[in-house]
Amino acid sequence: MNPDVVSAVGRLRSAGILSDRQAVFFDRVARRRLVSIRFEIRALLYVGVLLLTSGVGVLVAEHHREIGPIAIASGIGLATAACFAWVIRQAVPFSWGAVEPPNVGFDYVLLLAVVLLAAELAYAEVEFTVLGPRWTYHLLVVALVYLAVAYRWDSRTVLALALSTLAAWRGISISLLPGGSWTDDAPLRANAIVLGTLYVGAAAFSVRRRLKAHFEDVFANAGLLLILGALVSGALAKEVARPAWLLALLIVAGLVMWLSLRLGRSLHFAEAVVGAYIGLVRLLFETFSQGSGESSVAFLLAALLGAGVLVLISVAYRRIRSQEDARER
Amino acid sequence: MRADSVAWERAAEVRGAATAWRLAGFIDQPTERAIQERFPDPCVAPSPVWRALTAGAVAAVVLCTFGALAVTIGRSATAAQIVLVMFAAVCLVVTDRLEASPQFARRGAAGATSLLGVGFFLAAVALFLMETLGLRANEGIDLFLIVSLLAWALGWWRWGSPLFAALSALSLFLLLGRLSHGRLLWLLVGAALVGLAARRLDAESWAPSHRLGASVLAVAGIAAVYAAINRYSLDEHLIETLARFSPERVAPSRTAFAPSAVATAAVPLAVLAWSLRSRRTFVLGTGIVLMALSLLTLHHYVYLAPLWVVLSVAGATLVIVALVVERVLGRAPDREMWGFTGEPLFSDERRQHALQIVGAAATFTPATGTDRPGFAGEGGKFGGGGATEKF
Repeated sequence: MNPDVVSAVGRLRSAGILSDRQAVFFDRVARRRLVSIRFEIRALLYVGVLLLTSGVGVLVAEHHREIGPIAIASGIGLATAACFAWVIRQAVPFSWGAVEPPNVGFDYVLLLAVVLLAAELAYAEVEFTVLGPRWTYHLLVVALVYLAVAYRWDSRTVLALALSTLAAWRGISISLLPGGSWTDDAPLRANAIVLGTLYVGAAAFSVRRRLKAHFEDVFANAGLLLILGALVSGALAKEVARPAWLLALLIVAGLVMWLSLRLGRSLHFAEAVVGAYIGLVRLLFETFSQGSGESSVAFLLAALLGAGVLVLISVAYRRIRSQEDARER
Repeated sequence: MRADSVAWERAAEVRGAATAWRLAGFIDQPTERAIQERFPDPCVAPSPVWRALTAGAVAAVVLCTFGALAVTIGRSATAAQIVLVMFAAVCLVVTDRLEASPQFARRGAAGATSLLGVGFFLAAVALFLMETLGLRANEGIDLFLIVSLLAWALGWWRWGSPLFAALSALSLFLLLGRLSHGRLLWLLVGAALVGLAARRLDAESWAPSHRLGASVLAVAGIAAVYAAINRYSLDEHLIETLARFSPERVAPSRTAFAPSAVATAAVPLAVLAWSLRSRRTFVLGTGIVLMALSLLTLHHYVYLAPLWVVLSVAGATLVIVALVVERVLGRAPDREMWGFTGEPLFSDERRQHALQIVGAAATFTPATGTDRPGFAGEGGKFGGGGATEKF
C-alpha cells in the first residue's frame, strides 16, 4: 500500500477533483488490491531468451561433432523459422511511424529469432566456410538483416543490435588487415568516427523525414558514443598526435553540448560533458605531474574544473527547463 | 529526516501518481494541475541523467580536493585521519544543508556528498583503529563493522537513501558472520529483520524513502536467511569463511545437511507464496531469483541433463510460463486475476524501461519504451474505472 496516495485519493475525492469511479480505481491500485506484473513478465521473457540462446551456444560449442553439422544447422534453422513464423503471424502492418507491439512477448520472440538467425549464420560460416577469407562480411550480413528486421517490426532493441554488429564488423575488419592489430588504434578510431557520424546522420534523417523518427535516440546515442569514445581514446593515448585528438574532442564535445541544449537532449549533453572532462583532466595531470608522483596542483585544478562543470550543468539544466516550460505553455 | 523533507517526499509521491494517471489517460491535464496545486512540492527534481551528472561532478570536485591534500600530507597516518574527518564533517554538514533546500535536495549533489561523507568518516575510523590504536586485524575489523553498521543506518535514517539501508544491512551480516555460530545468527537475525521490516512497508508514519529502505532491509533479511540455509552455502562453508582469523571457526554440523536441502527448496516457495498473498512485486522478484538459485544448487548436486539441455529447457520454460501468464491474465474478466494484471497500469512504466535499458546496455545504446501508456483507449475494464470520457 502507498499510504500517501491512499490518503490523497480520499482527499481529492472529497474535494471533487476525482470522480467516485476514478477514486475507487486509484485507491484499489494504491492499496495493492490490483497489482501489475507486466515488468515481471517481461523480465521472465528476457531471461528466458538469454537462457535459450545460451543453451544453443553451449550445444553448438560442445556437441557439434557428435550431432553433426547438418543436424545442428537444421535444428537452429527450424527454431529460427518457427520464431519468425510466430512474429509474422502476430505482427501488425508496417508503418514508418511507431508501431505498438501486438503483445508483451512479441519483442522477445523477435529478439530470440534474430539471435538464433545470427547463430545459424555463424555456424554455417564456421562449418561450411561460405565466405572463406572474407568471413568478416558475415557480420555485415547479420547487421543488415538486423537492420531490416528492426525497421520491419519496429524494434529498438534489434536496431541497437544492428548498430553494434556494424561497429563490430568495422572493428574486426580493421584489426585483421595486413599490418593492423588491436594495439594500433588510429584506424579503429577513424572507423569509429566515420561510423558514428553516419549514425548521427541517420538520427537526423529519421527525424527530418519522419521515417521511424522514434529510432533517433538509438542512432544518436550509438553515434555519439562511438565518436566521443574514439576522441577520448585518442586524447588519452600515448601518441604524438594526442593534442590534436584533445582539440578535436573539445570542439566536438562543445558542438554536441550546444546542439543538445538547443534540441533538449540531456543524455547527449551528459555524454559530451563527461568526454570533455576526461580529456581535460588527463591534460592537467600530464602537465603538472612531478616525476612518477602526482602533483597537488593537478588535483586542485581538476577540482576547479569539476566546479566549472557544475556551473555549466546548472546553467544548461536551467536552460533546458525553461525550454520545456515554454513548450508546455 | 527533517519534517520538511518528509512533507516534500509525500507531495512528490502524490504528484508522481497524478502524472502517471494522466499519462495512462485516466485523468486530463486540468485535473493533474488541480492535484499538483493541492499537493505543492517546491523541490527542483531533474531527470536521473541530470542527477547522475551533478552527482558525478560533485564527487569529482570533492575527491580531487581531497587528492590535493592527500598528496600534500604524504604518508602521515595522523594527518590523513584529520583530513578525512575534516572532509567527512564538511560533506555531512553540506549534505544536511542541501537536503534542507528545495532548490538542491533532489539534484544529485546531496546524494554524492552524503555517500562521500560517510565514506570519508569510515576511512578515518579504519585508520584510527589500525594505525593509531594499533588493534589486531580481528578486533579492528569487528569494531569497524560496528561503526559502519551504525554510520550507514544513521545516514539512512537522516537522509532516506535506500543504498545506505543496504550498506547498513551488509555491515550487520558481515559482522554476524564473524561471530561463532554466524550461520545461525544470519538465520535468526535475517528472519527478525524480515519480520520487522515487513511491518513498516506500508507504515503511514514513515517517509516514502524510509518505506523503500524497509523493502531493501526485507530483501536483505530474506537473502541472509536463504544464504544461511542453502545447501551449497553450507557445504562450502561460505558464511564460515567470514569468521575471525582464529582456530575457533565452527564448521557447520553434518546433521544440518538434510534439513538444509529441504529448506533450499522450501524457502523460495515460501517467499513466492508470501509475494502472491501480499501482492508485493519486489518479494515476487526475490522469490523468482531464489528459485533460480535453488535450481542451480540442485543442478550442482544432481545430474539432471547436459548443461545445454538444462539451459534450453529452463529458457523455454520461462518464455512459455511468461506467455501463458500474460495470456491467462489477458483473458480473465477485467483482465485481472487474484488482484494481478498483466497490463501496465500506471505505476511501473519506469521499471519496464529499466529492463529495456539493461537489455540495450550490452549493445551500448539506451532504449526507451514503446510500451502502451497504460489503458488509454481500452478502459472501462478495470473494476470501477472508466469514470471519465477518456476511458
